[in-house]
Amino acid sequence: MKPLIPTLTVSPPPFAHCGKTVKKRMRAILLAMLPAAALAVYHFGMDALRVMTLATATAVIAEFISDIVMGRTSQVDDMHAFTVGLGFAFLLPASAPWWLVVFGSTTSIVLGKMMFGGLGGSPLCAPLVGWAVCSLSWASHMDIDAAMLTSELNYPLSQLKHFGAQSIAGFSLNDLLVGRQLGGLGAIQTGALFIGGIFLTMRKHIKVAIPVGMLAGVLITAGIFHAADPQKYAPAMFHLLTGSIIFGAFFLATDSSSSPMRKIPALLYGLLAGVLVIIIRVYGVYPDGVPYAILLANLTSPLLDRIKPKPFGRN
Amino acid sequence: MSRLWKEFSKGLWKDLPPFKLVLGLCPVLAVTSTAENGFGMGMAVIFVLTLSNLLVSLVRKIIPAKVRIACFIVIAASLVVAVELLMQAYAFPLYQQLGIFVPLIVVNCIILGRAEAFASKNPPLLAIADGLGMGMGFTMSLTFLGGLREVLGHGQLFGHTVVWDGFEPLSFMAAAPGAFVTLGILLALMNFFTNLQRKRKGLAPVDGPTHDCGSCGVCGGR
Repeated sequence: MKPLIPTLTVSPPPFAHCGKTVKKRMRAILLAMLPAAALAVYHFGMDALRVMTLATATAVIAEFISDIVMGRTSQVDDMHAFTVGLGFAFLLPASAPWWLVVFGSTTSIVLGKMMFGGLGGSPLCAPLVGWAVCSLSWASHMDIDAAMLTSELNYPLSQLKHFGAQSIAGFSLNDLLVGRQLGGLGAIQTGALFIGGIFLTMRKHIKVAIPVGMLAGVLITAGIFHAADPQKYAPAMFHLLTGSIIFGAFFLATDSSSSPMRKIPALLYGLLAGVLVIIIRVYGVYPDGVPYAILLANLTSPLLDRIKPKPFGRN
Repeated sequence: MSRLWKEFSKGLWKDLPPFKLVLGLCPVLAVTSTAENGFGMGMAVIFVLTLSNLLVSLVRKIIPAKVRIACFIVIAASLVVAVELLMQAYAFPLYQQLGIFVPLIVVNCIILGRAEAFASKNPPLLAIADGLGMGMGFTMSLTFLGGLREVLGHGQLFGHTVVWDGFEPLSFMAAAPGAFVTLGILLALMNFFTNLQRKRKGLAPVDGPTHDCGSCGVCGGR
């Protein structure tokens, strides 16, 4: 008899056998993040370097300590904690105080990864958990507008939110592409991250369907809004190159344990995240909707994983 | 006497309502933003729980089994109305803080759970001991949870500042998601310590919250 209520199963990937190890994959992801990190240091100076090193060091130490407390064999040398810490740092403004970085990075690892049983068990993208806790707690320290005081760059999304589509005429797409804007210190180096993302996709370290779906979701939704009223809504390309959309699409949404496994669910998952980003940016209170959009999409991934082919031999 | 003590003390640690039985989570999550709210809620629950246990135990032989739940609810509801009126008279600010959660004590799982699982099968004196113990355990847990969230979320305890200058309060803890996260972490810690104790005694560790048949009467002891 068929059960009346469908059972929702969260099965922890990755299962692939192809000579790839977690360590090699993490190394490739770090390599892909390197150009963005370098550009971040170029734009924001030693402050960016301080935030990134502090976040990664804390993440690695936090994972090691929780391994000891929880009585597990430590797998900290697979470098996943390193990527989580760097990913969290990429979302912070360069002006973040040291205790915020330490707290957020520890939260990312402990609450976002180790509580759920380590690598492969987490239902949410780990860096975003830390980001969400920090931005709910210390809105003033996470506020990117505050960084405008010490920098001549502007935060395009906040301009768009508060002064309308007219105010963003000053941002040329080239400037946005090389990261001449304010935002999360690494997440806004869109050009560098795009190159890194393409590298990861070519090496098949991430599922192509997720970034494709997410970028398509952003472009289509923003395009519809822009076509409806070009005076009021920003063009699609502007949305694509501001905030952390590229970073989210290639590095956060593709987190292996919190995204669906198969192609069509992964595409739907990406589309959902992309559409949510623009909806939050247009109607929400947050200038950049990427973290919450991806967290919400993460929650749907066990549901989307139910879309699967019929087992062979069954009718 | 030892039986009385046993029934009283099981609510304080062994069957601690929110953490071991995982009952009554609605007020645990909703009103514990400060220690004072948690304490006030706990006092209201002690009052209702003890008296409802007593009344249910007194009438346990008169009520037909088929309508017992309705009778328990009527008893609990009358007591809750009494608490509500008393609070409006003598602790109005607290009443305004707790809001809808005072009337909601009627449907609090602990009240109905203790009435069904314990008071309807035991003599009045034991039922009072059980109600008092469970109520005090509940109050302790709520005050502790509220205190933790208040210290981290506002930097205060019972309205007095307890942190150093320059402390940036973790407002996440005072907001709704903080309640869920704190409760989850506390549950995990409780299980961790339970397992540590069992390990010391040489027993096998257990998964998840544990309780014996005393806290649940669903199968009637079969």
